Amino acid sequence: MASLTVKGITKRFGQVPALNDVDVHVQDGEFCVLLGPSGCGKSTLLNIIAGLIPQDRGSIMLNGESVDELAPRDRDVAMVFQSYALYPHMTVAENMGFGLRMRRLPKDVIHERVFEAARLLGIEDLLLRKPRELSGGQQQRVAMGRALVRRPKVFLLDEPLSNLDARLRANVRLELKRLHRQIKGTIIYVTHDQVEAMTLGDKVVVMRKGMVHQMGPPGRIYAEPTDRFVATFIGSPEINIFKGIIEIKAGHPVFKGPGFSLGLGERGLTPMGGYVEIGIRPEDVTVLPGEEGPLLAKVEMLSNLGSEMYIHARLGEEPLTFQAAKSSALKPGDTLSLRIEPPKIHVFHKGRRVRTDK
Amino acid sequence: MSREGVERAILRVLRVLGLFFFVFIAGFPFYWMILSSFKSLQEILLRPWDLGLGKGSIDFRAYYEVLFEHGFLQYISNSVYVSILTVLLTLTLATLGGYAVTRLRFRGQAFMSYSILIIYMFPAIVLVIPLYVIFSRVGLRDSVSVLILVYLAQTLPVALYMLRSYFQKLPVEIEYAGLTDGCSRLGVIWRIVLPLSAPALASVALYTFMIAWNEFLFAFMFLDTPEKFTLSRGVVQLAGSVHLSKQLVMAASVMVSIPILLVFLLFERYLVRGLTAGAMKG
Repeated sequence: MASLTVKGITKRFGQVPALNDVDVHVQDGEFCVLLGPSGCGKSTLLNIIAGLIPQDRGSIMLNGESVDELAPRDRDVAMVFQSYALYPHMTVAENMGFGLRMRRLPKDVIHERVFEAARLLGIEDLLLRKPRELSGGQQQRVAMGRALVRRPKVFLLDEPLSNLDARLRANVRLELKRLHRQIKGTIIYVTHDQVEAMTLGDKVVVMRKGMVHQMGPPGRIYAEPTDRFVATFIGSPEINIFKGIIEIKAGHPVFKGPGFSLGLGERGLTPMGGYVEIGIRPEDVTVLPGEEGPLLAKVEMLSNLGSEMYIHARLGEEPLTFQAAKSSALKPGDTLSLRIEPPKIHVFHKGRRVRTDK
Repeated sequence: MSREGVERAILRVLRVLGLFFFVFIAGFPFYWMILSSFKSLQEILLRPWDLGLGKGSIDFRAYYEVLFEHGFLQYISNSVYVSILTVLLTLTLATLGGYAVTRLRFRGQAFMSYSILIIYMFPAIVLVIPLYVIFSRVGLRDSVSVLILVYLAQTLPVALYMLRSYFQKLPVEIEYAGLTDGCSRLGVIWRIVLPLSAPALASVALYTFMIAWNEFLFAFMFLDTPEKFTLSRGVVQLAGSVHLSKQLVMAASVMVSIPILLVFLLFERYLVRGLTAGAMKG
C-alpha cells in the first residue's frame, strides 16, 4: 500500500481543458472519492494516475516518488472499470490471475491468491465460467477480484457500481466498505453519485470542469460547502437556494429575499454590495405550531418516502423543500409558520461561501 | 384465394425457381468439371453429354498425369507456399498497422487511416505493366518472393480496412485493463486484441488466401520458369499446350478449386462467432 500525491495535473484534449492544476493527496490506506458531474475530469484524472493517458503538466507520486516516467504496468496500480472490462476469452479464474501471470508469479501462488480473493467476494463457484455467463453483479465482483489479487499500491475504481441496479448497488456499497476495512488498501474511487461518496469516502474531492472545488471528510463537505456548486451538488433533496440582499435592521443583518425576509443572527455579516445567495438544507427547517409568525410558507405538495416526509412549499415567491415529521397531518394549501436557525443558513457571495465568525 | 395467399404462392414459386437457377449456373460447371476429370479423353469425345459415370469407369489417370508428368506437384507446392506466406505476412502487417491507426496517436494518423483504401482503387491491370518493367530492369521479375510482395500490395489495403473497423469496435477499457495488469502494448495485442479478433482475422485470412491462390494476372506476367509456376499459371500453361486433353485440364482445375473450398469450410465457423459477447456491461 502507498500514499498518492497528485500535483498540479493539467490536461487538455485539443482545445478542451479537461483538468486544470489539480492537487490531491491521499494517505496510505485512505478511501478517497473523486466526486463530480459527468465531464468534470474525474475519470481522466484516474486514467492519468494509472498512466493510461499522459498528462500535459504536473506529476503523480506514489510514496513520494514520481511515477510519471513509468508505463501503466510498472506503476503497480490496479483498476476496476465502469464496464468491468473483463477479458471475454478467459475464465473467471484466468481473468483474476492474469495480472499475476504477467508478473510471472509461481502457479501455486496465483492459485492461492485467486482462490482467496474469490472466497472473500463469494465467487468461488464461478471460477471456471466465462464472463458472458455471469450476471452484472457477478461480473462486478470478478472485476473487483482481478484488482484484489494484484495487491497493488493503489486501487483505482472508476464508477464500479453504476451498472448495477439500485438494490444491488446498496449491498455492494456496504460490502465495498467492509472490504476496505479488511484489506486496508489505498483506494481512489470515482463516482457521480453523492450517496456513494458520502457513505464510502474517508475523504471526498468534489470536482467540476477540471477543477477541485473542495476536498475533505464527507461530513465537513456537507456542513461547510465552500461554494454554491458544492452545496447544491451534495445533499438530496437539494439544498434550497434563495437570491436576495443583506440589509442591516436595528443592528442585525437580515436577508431580504423575493417576498420574505430572514434574520441571519449575530454573524458579523455586512451588506457586501450586490446580491447574495443563501442556502438552506431541507432538514434545517423547523415547523412551528400555529399559522402566525415572521416566516410563513404555503404547502403545495407532499412527498412521503415512507421513512421520511418532504414538504414542497412556497416561501414568498420561491419554492422551498423541507423535511417534516412523518406524523404531521399536513395537506396542500395549509399555511405553516417556520423557523430557520441563523447558524444553519449558508451564505454565498459571488458563488463562494461567506466565512463568518460564530 | 386471398390476395395474401396469392402473393405467398408466387413468392414460393419464385424462390424455388431462383434456387434452381443459381444451383444450375454455379453448380453445373463445377459438376461437369469434376465429372470430366474422372473420364478418359475417349469418353469425353464420344459422349460429351453423358452426365453420369459408367460403372467402374472412375479414372484417376488424369490426376496422376497432371501431378507427375505435367509438374503440378511443383505448382501446388508453389501455390501453397505463396498463399500461406501472403496470408501470414498480411495478417501480421495488417494487425500492427490496423492497431496503430486505431489506438496510437501520431502525426498523420487520420490521413493514414483514411488513405488506406485509396491504394486499392488502382486496378491491377494499370499496375502490372509498370511493375513488369521495373522488376525486369532490376532483374527480380521471375521470382516467387516478388510475387508475394505484389500480392501484399493487393491484400493489405482491404485487410487493414477490415481489421481497423473491427479494432475500433473493441472496447478500449479491455486494453486498459491489460496495460495495468502488466502487459506491454505488444502484449496487449497478442494476448487480448488478437484472441478477441478471431472472427476478423479468419475473414482476412480467408480473403487473402483466395486472392493469392486464385491470382493469375501477375503470375502470368511475372513468372517465366515453369518450376516457379503457381497453380493458376500452370492450368493455363496446360490448357494452351499442343495436345489438348480436356480431362487433364479438368483434373488440374479441380486441384485449384478444392483447397479453396476446404479453407472456406475450415474458417467459416470462426467468421460468425462473435467473441466479444459478455465482455462489457452497459
